[in-house]
Amino acid sequence: MTLLASVRPDDWDLPLFLHVLGAMALVGSLVLVVLALVSARRGDSAAGLRLAYRSLLFGVIPSWILMRVGAQWIASKEGLDDLDEPPAWVDIGFLTSEPTLLLLIAATVCAGMAARRAREGGGRAFGGLNTATLVLVTISLLAYVLAIWAMSTKPS
Amino acid sequence: MYHTLLFFHLIAAFLLAVTVVTYTAVALGATTGGRTLFVADRCWDVGGLGTLVLGIWLALDLDEYDFFDGWILGAIALWFVATGVGQSTQRRLAADPNADIGVMHWLRTLAVLGLLVLMIWKPGA
Repeated sequence: MTLLASVRPDDWDLPLFLHVLGAMALVGSLVLVVLALVSARRGDSAAGLRLAYRSLLFGVIPSWILMRVGAQWIASKEGLDDLDEPPAWVDIGFLTSEPTLLLLIAATVCAGMAARRAREGGGRAFGGLNTATLVLVTISLLAYVLAIWAMSTKPS
Repeated sequence: MYHTLLFFHLIAAFLLAVTVVTYTAVALGATTGGRTLFVADRCWDVGGLGTLVLGIWLALDLDEYDFFDGWILGAIALWFVATGVGQSTQRRLAADPNADIGVMHWLRTLAVLGLLVLMIWKPGA
């Protein structure tokens, strides 16, 4: 696999670039959401929740799409999507990415509702919606660390 | 050994992404707390050191690559540009929380994108 990485065909580079770029923006945006939610609990809840919601809507979801489109493109180039039994690291990638989209959509809805309530003055920084968003985002982040491990170590 | 190094090298690169995304939010006008920027800056400290040290280690560990390959030297140069510009941005924000960091931030972002391009395409390798 080390050799494979060093002699990768040139036409795999663009899909791999888009996949990694999407993944980096995805994880970066998710950590920003966590930081904004923690900040909302400690101080300015309206600003923190607004930042968390916008990060999810304009950062996390588009990044997920870029990461996933890049993943499918590179898998197609490598012929991994035609295999009856794909390698474990490919399975781990799909198993961590697809279910987490649902978590991320749910987190976006929760953060949007929490931000709206905070703006209208009725939201509490420690409310259930904030906690739900934090839990959903944290689970997704942990799944992505597992995916990064699988992509880099390529367990068979 | 290679895979472990690569895993931690990637984790370090993802920490750089945390800093870039956080500062992008600031550059676009988002209100962030001082604690958020503090964490973002520490992510650059750890991620920057991790990418540099582990990246050089990877280059030395693999027979296919040489430390003096053009793309590796280019990546190290871009790393220094990104870190230097980032520290200027950090100092400017510390002096004035409302300072305009747009140009500096986008320069650092371009440098990080350039790093990623070099890591994927490896021109000359």
